[in-house]
Amino acid sequence: MKNLKLPQLMGGAVLAGLMLQAGVTHAAADAEAIIKNKCLACHSEEQAEPAQFSRMSHQRKSPEGWLMSIARMQVMHGLKISDDERRTLVKHFSDTQGLAPEETAGARYAMERRLNTMETYESSAFEEMCARCHSGARVELQRRPAAEWENLVHFHLGQWPTLEYQALARDRDWMQLALNEMVPQLAADLPLKSASWDKWKSMKKVPMAGRWSFSAQMPGKGDARGVMTITGGKRDQYKVKLEGEFADGSALKGQGSAIVYTGYEWRANLKIDGVKMRQVFAASADGAELTGRMFETVHDEAGMDFTAVREGSAPKLLSVQPEFIRAGSTEVLTLVGTGLGNKLSLGKGLKVMEELYRDDNKVVVQVKASKDAAMGTRSVSAGKANGASLNVFDQIGSVKVVPSFAVARVGGNGGSTPKYNAHFQAEAWMNGADGKAGTDDDMRIGFVPASWHVEPFDAQAEADRDTHFTGKMDAKTGLFTTAAAGPNPERRMSTNNAGNLKVVADVKENGKTLSADGQLIVTVQRWNNPPLP
Amino acid sequence: MNKKNTLRRSMAAMLATVTLGAMALISSTVMAAQGPALKSGDEYMIVANYPNQMHVLDLKTDSIYKTCDMPDRFGPGALQVSPDKKTAYILNNGYEDIYGVDMDTCEVTFHARMAANKKERTKTIYAFALSYDGKELYAVQNPTLMERDHYRVQPTRLAVYSTDAGVNAKPIRTFPSPRLVTAMQVGKDGGLYMAGADIYKMDVKTGEYEVSVPSRNWKRERYVQPDVLNVWAVQTPTQDFTILYTTARFQKGSEDLNSADWLYGYFNINLETGETETKDFGPITEIYFTGTRSPKDSNIMYGVLNRLAKYDIEKQTLLKAAELDHSYYCITVSNDGSKLYLAGTHNHVAVFDADTLERLNTITLPGGDMSTTTAQVFIR
Repeated sequence: MKNLKLPQLMGGAVLAGLMLQAGVTHAAADAEAIIKNKCLACHSEEQAEPAQFSRMSHQRKSPEGWLMSIARMQVMHGLKISDDERRTLVKHFSDTQGLAPEETAGARYAMERRLNTMETYESSAFEEMCARCHSGARVELQRRPAAEWENLVHFHLGQWPTLEYQALARDRDWMQLALNEMVPQLAADLPLKSASWDKWKSMKKVPMAGRWSFSAQMPGKGDARGVMTITGGKRDQYKVKLEGEFADGSALKGQGSAIVYTGYEWRANLKIDGVKMRQVFAASADGAELTGRMFETVHDEAGMDFTAVREGSAPKLLSVQPEFIRAGSTEVLTLVGTGLGNKLSLGKGLKVMEELYRDDNKVVVQVKASKDAAMGTRSVSAGKANGASLNVFDQIGSVKVVPSFAVARVGGNGGSTPKYNAHFQAEAWMNGADGKAGTDDDMRIGFVPASWHVEPFDAQAEADRDTHFTGKMDAKTGLFTTAAAGPNPERRMSTNNAGNLKVVADVKENGKTLSADGQLIVTVQRWNNPPLP
Repeated sequence: MNKKNTLRRSMAAMLATVTLGAMALISSTVMAAQGPALKSGDEYMIVANYPNQMHVLDLKTDSIYKTCDMPDRFGPGALQVSPDKKTAYILNNGYEDIYGVDMDTCEVTFHARMAANKKERTKTIYAFALSYDGKELYAVQNPTLMERDHYRVQPTRLAVYSTDAGVNAKPIRTFPSPRLVTAMQVGKDGGLYMAGADIYKMDVKTGEYEVSVPSRNWKRERYVQPDVLNVWAVQTPTQDFTILYTTARFQKGSEDLNSADWLYGYFNINLETGETETKDFGPITEIYFTGTRSPKDSNIMYGVLNRLAKYDIEKQTLLKAAELDHSYYCITVSNDGSKLYLAGTHNHVAVFDADTLERLNTITLPGGDMSTTTAQVFIR
């Protein structure tokens, strides 16, 4: 067995990657044997047929959730288990005690490693009890009966005895609230038994092998499209090959391996242009679509929104790239999807001048938008394929920085934790009928090129020279690369290269410059970085 | 100290109490005599730091007098000095053990494991104190039962030890204790003051306790519930047990936090007389982890974290502030009130003139970070 070291297990991307390495995954039947061999030193067998074990048989969670539980048994409770055995268990538990697709809705960002998601919950009690230290999504991606939520409370306080001394805990009777109010709330909101899981479990799962047309969008790179070829499928394991391109013509190519958990949770490890990347997708119930995020394994902040549709399924238009056209201009548009029919419907005022390329998944056309074309969003179709839209605008009225608030982290410099950089995009908006920017009738245009720089967010940031110390903004791409980790003797009080920045995007429009800003907090490393934040 | 080690330690602190704790236990041996004995009448200060040692500083010369190696594992290095100034008690080994160390010989003369049995994992979150006569040691313990496949957090308890019980000390009495207790000190009347949600006073013979200074449950007109977190039970020359709070006071007739006054204040118990105080001393402009009053002038309050600050309590004004080279957690003052000593974080003890806040000296300790050690000043 590979000796697991703490830092290795702490790294979210690295740990999640462990789910998916070359090697034979045992059949699900083997899982029970592993449990009986390895887990019964502490857990007890509650019944033989069907097999039921203490704790583990009374929870459902995501593949990442199961991985974290088993890894914790290794790190903290002396479980000796091979990587192969662990993979078998994660697969088994995810398949037999996973989450139905609708049970992951609204929390998939955690699995997709969108660590800059700002969570808000109606229940301030939940926010303060659970989402104070880790994402609320980590909780939402679990299902337990009351007794198991209660065990979780005891685990938390037993493992981290100081948590009741922390802010938002020490001002209240934490333990009483946790046991008597939070446990019933969680058991009601996130119960072990659910109709959706019963239904999903009994549904026939669709294998993933086939050719898939995909559409993606990546900050700093823009739109992308292509074909993903999936082969194999024995024991839900696949080979995957990606052949695509970015809008600027550069290649998006690579290959790797994948596994499907719970009948729909697609996880792949690929090497794209020499860079290790991961895919975290959900397959639709009919097996026709894959949706999620593809991101760099080490720098998971660098990633793209990704959707794919299976060739041979119902015609579908995934996107029009770019997603906007200026009235009075002639542009090349790329339609991405599958089963794209000959008859393109772009709506009134938009005329196809020339079809430059066509296959079943992609149509490239030169389109002229008349000056009087109606402004705003319109649906587009290619024969029977629809589902995407196009925004017609006359001029950019305002710009927004997306995300408007982001957190980046220093890293590297010999430490165990890499930099966590930040990626920004400039989102163009047109004024609505009122001709004013920033009002309710503004209409979104899409992401446009901008010139980027950072400024001190406030007087303190200026005094501390945060713009000098915290990192560098790439003026063209909107990628902010953070500075090195560790105390910096050049800074006041030798502090880290942390800071508070204003991120400014300048967009040229009709000879004028439209500016927008967002906020970037550069802070210290995320030391505790499990697969689910 | 190299970065890798720091990192590994912080991870260990976060996570690995079970495995690392078990390993560390094996080496709980009595340490060999080390360095000179302390001299009667001289003023000293003790602090603890990584990798796992306690330093006695000579405050006449502001230099290291001696260094004692500590058994087992460092953390948090909270310290209390016995009333006869011969023994230093240190909470260490990942908050799980308290050791009494003879400062003359560096010998461990007392050792109490907080866990009552093998099934327990028990931590003391800074909450220990000595009786006024030094014969008993009190610790609030947070036990968790490590069942085979689950944990059960147990009620907190006060354990009383006899300080002459040696290196395998067992409690001579235990009582139920309120949760959330951190800093503790004992009054001359024998009552144990325990800072938790409120500051309680416990009769250590019967375990009965009552609120001595209300904090979470204070009734101060127009004031919101204060926020208090103090883990440094600094033994002061004036026998003051001082704990800082932050709060907000609404304007008259208003309940709007935006227009409220945000205030720093202190709870104080005079351990000699039992007199208690709850008093604001200034607006919140920055955070202090610890504060202490001047033995020369009880109207002067010092606070430290990212700056060293000096307040006029009655006027509620900041008199002076000194910039610091890095954060310091724990402030202590010399017995005559002339010098301030800053400890905690890194391995520097910073010495300041208590009047001018001029930096006089820096005592660099061998080893690493002091973490949340409690610096204690005393005259032998």
